[in-house]
Amino acid sequence: MKINRRDFLKTTAATSLFFAGFGLPSFASQNKKNLVVIMLEGGMDGLCAVPIRGDKNFKKLRSKINLKKTLKLTSDFDLHPALENFKTLWDQNTASVFHATSIPYKGRSHFEGQDMMMSGGTVPYQEKTGWLGRGMKLAGLKGNGLAMSLPMPLLIRGVPLNNNYFPIRSSLPQKRLLNIIEEEFNQYSEKDLSETLSIIRNRDLNYFPGTNASTLALQAGKLLSDPNGPRVAVFKVENFDTHAAQGGDDGTHADCLKEYDQILKALKASLGSTFKDTLILTLTEFGRTVKQNGGNGTEHGYGTAVLMAGGLIKKSEVHGDWPGLKQKELFEGRDLNSTMDARSIYASAMSTVFDLDFKRIQKDVFWGDKLDNLSDKLFKA
Amino acid sequence: MKNFFRKVAFGIGPNEEVPSDPLAWALNQLDDVPDLTWKGKIPSGKEMIEIHARKNEIELKKVREKYKDDKKLLKIGIKRLNYETGLHFWPSLELSIRHTEAIYSNSPVLAKLWFFWSNHFAIVDGGFRTAFYTGPYQREVIRTNLNQTFEKLVYNVTTSPAMISSLDNGDNIGPKSKIGKKNKKSSSINENHARELLELHTVSPAAGYTQEDIIQLAYIMTGWMNGYSKSTGDTLPVEFNKDRHQPGKKTVFGKTYKSGKKSLENVIKDLVHHPNCRDFIATKLCRYLITDNPTEEMKKPIIKAFKDSDGFLPEIHKAAIRVAFEYNDQYQKFQNPENWFLQMAKLADFSWPTSPTIMDLYEVGRKPQLAHTQPQGKLYDLGHDPYRAKQPNGFSDFEADWISPELLIRRLVFAKDCFELTKSKNNNFKFYKNIVNKNFNNPERIFNYLEKAKKPYEIQILLFNHPEFLKA
Repeated sequence: MKINRRDFLKTTAATSLFFAGFGLPSFASQNKKNLVVIMLEGGMDGLCAVPIRGDKNFKKLRSKINLKKTLKLTSDFDLHPALENFKTLWDQNTASVFHATSIPYKGRSHFEGQDMMMSGGTVPYQEKTGWLGRGMKLAGLKGNGLAMSLPMPLLIRGVPLNNNYFPIRSSLPQKRLLNIIEEEFNQYSEKDLSETLSIIRNRDLNYFPGTNASTLALQAGKLLSDPNGPRVAVFKVENFDTHAAQGGDDGTHADCLKEYDQILKALKASLGSTFKDTLILTLTEFGRTVKQNGGNGTEHGYGTAVLMAGGLIKKSEVHGDWPGLKQKELFEGRDLNSTMDARSIYASAMSTVFDLDFKRIQKDVFWGDKLDNLSDKLFKA
Repeated sequence: MKNFFRKVAFGIGPNEEVPSDPLAWALNQLDDVPDLTWKGKIPSGKEMIEIHARKNEIELKKVREKYKDDKKLLKIGIKRLNYETGLHFWPSLELSIRHTEAIYSNSPVLAKLWFFWSNHFAIVDGGFRTAFYTGPYQREVIRTNLNQTFEKLVYNVTTSPAMISSLDNGDNIGPKSKIGKKNKKSSSINENHARELLELHTVSPAAGYTQEDIIQLAYIMTGWMNGYSKSTGDTLPVEFNKDRHQPGKKTVFGKTYKSGKKSLENVIKDLVHHPNCRDFIATKLCRYLITDNPTEEMKKPIIKAFKDSDGFLPEIHKAAIRVAFEYNDQYQKFQNPENWFLQMAKLADFSWPTSPTIMDLYEVGRKPQLAHTQPQGKLYDLGHDPYRAKQPNGFSDFEADWISPELLIRRLVFAKDCFELTKSKNNNFKFYKNIVNKNFNNPERIFNYLEKAKKPYEIQILLFNHPEFLKA
């Protein structure tokens, strides 16, 4: 079946109208709910992860990097074969896609894009806190953030006492020495340092599981599933910037998607029963050009897809208003267009997971920028 | 007062005398740029670009073409090529040269300022660029200009192959230029470099430039590119290609510039004389040396020195050092990981970096030994490899960016594990007593603290994680 832009528009319009006016504040649920954000750095190709079905022109433009063995999502969209675990979750109604979306950034610089995908702002390098950190602050989630990286990513900054985990193959000095150091920090009134030291004092560094994505995800899942553990975790998958050898079923982009898929698998396993109270979203700076380049890769683009998983997903569905891939429908004649500000998805997710009124998030986290409340459409209350 | 030696440099080593006049000691290091202290081979930027980078560029295209449908073979092919061009060796050699300057040279204050400017004009990480361009750029473009004017520094940075590559000015083509008119679809301006020249390198957003100013500056910069030929890739020297230069007058900050090569020089002259540029540089220097939030009082003498000397860097540096001296007792700044590591290496007399003899044993084409790549590995583990800035704004000078649980773990673990870099003759309390006396304001208090240590390696862990050492 061929996708029709008008049908898509109709469904979207109807849903948003139906839910308009129902922006009542939700009530705190009893279960602890978790939000995981996986940053896909380098520009994730939404057209490679979730390609459109039956578009001859698209196939022609990507003759060297087309997928051969896709997994089927809907009558209109396929799924990259590397996303096996995503597909399993999809079949259980715990994974969905928002297609043709982007953060409000139309330049093609990784660094500006990455800064803005984390800050949630509209001007590069302007904000010193991240949208997730501000959202957590609004929800009073002090000490509830966990970054699976060495520095504290901008995304999660803006709320105190965040933790991070990125083990080094070594061991901490003995507790006795840490006590002496901590005492000295206190003597000197070094509040940030003593708080940070108090966070790490109980770390068992003798155990070095490694820093590959699955290992980090197993650890994150374990901590998130603890009723007293963190409520937010942030991951990073790098190397989506495939200017060459992007490949189809089995190339560099496939490797990156597989890494994301492995994180999902490990989270699903380690979250156990708390998977049902969790949302796992992807975030990237931009998509990639529709057309392949001479090196069987793609260039920096614009619109892409957000992959969503977890028990708080309403149902398996490819959401979005498909803009089409005809030359005149493309952004600047080369990229998939964006028909949804990706921040609407993130604001809605925070509203669902943190039990906050969408309008408060819109106002306090995103400066009142025009965003759509998609909570009821995408997620379970 | 003794923390001043770490604030503006890397501390006093165990065999060095404590200068009787700290301020004079520091100011005396700023007039000249002496030869580098590293005794081993130092490859020129020309050699790096025209031999090693060029070979990598040419062969990489062939490897990519050959294995474009087989990522495993592509990976192996690239790995082999990287050995053949020393890609994994050069960054560690550069770090060794850099660290030698900090620990063993007679001008550690100049070294600390060299690190500041290298970070101010940061080159974005990229395997190829990091290996072949960034190191020589920091030595030949940044360091050699430290006794010149800021204007000359900015011009040389802007027209350097590393910065042009880092900020894509090679893609900046005037739409109305000869080449722009010929290839309408593929030719457009690229604002990246122009924006950063304003935002990060000179006047900062506080100057209130508009998007149109950025576009006009980008037009002025059209045509500046790394020389390109089909057979050598883009590894020829930087050139001004007038066939790519946007014709006609351009206006930046209300001033009009004629078309042509010289317009870049002219606009840079005006940018560095803009009041916001002086303010921005003074702010950044104070932030690096003194505090996250510099006051107007702190900045004032630096701004004045900038203005009075027409941007002569030794005068700007001297003013900044004087201010750092004046505020030394009031403000202590949390040191970034590399500066902290170097101070530890200097005070504890580490066998660091890898010696010139060992580094010179490396032959291009062979897989480097562990010792040949150790500097890069260590700095990467620490989270602060100065040749691998993620973004054009470089590494942060804000304390908050360097405090996270894992980053503090690195300090604890490095202080412990680097005990293997110490010399056995130093593993006694007397040795540490000597360096504490030379480097700490209240040695007695530190001795009481260190008495809690039971073994020499415990002294090291405690001392280098002491709040007075983490800050300077």
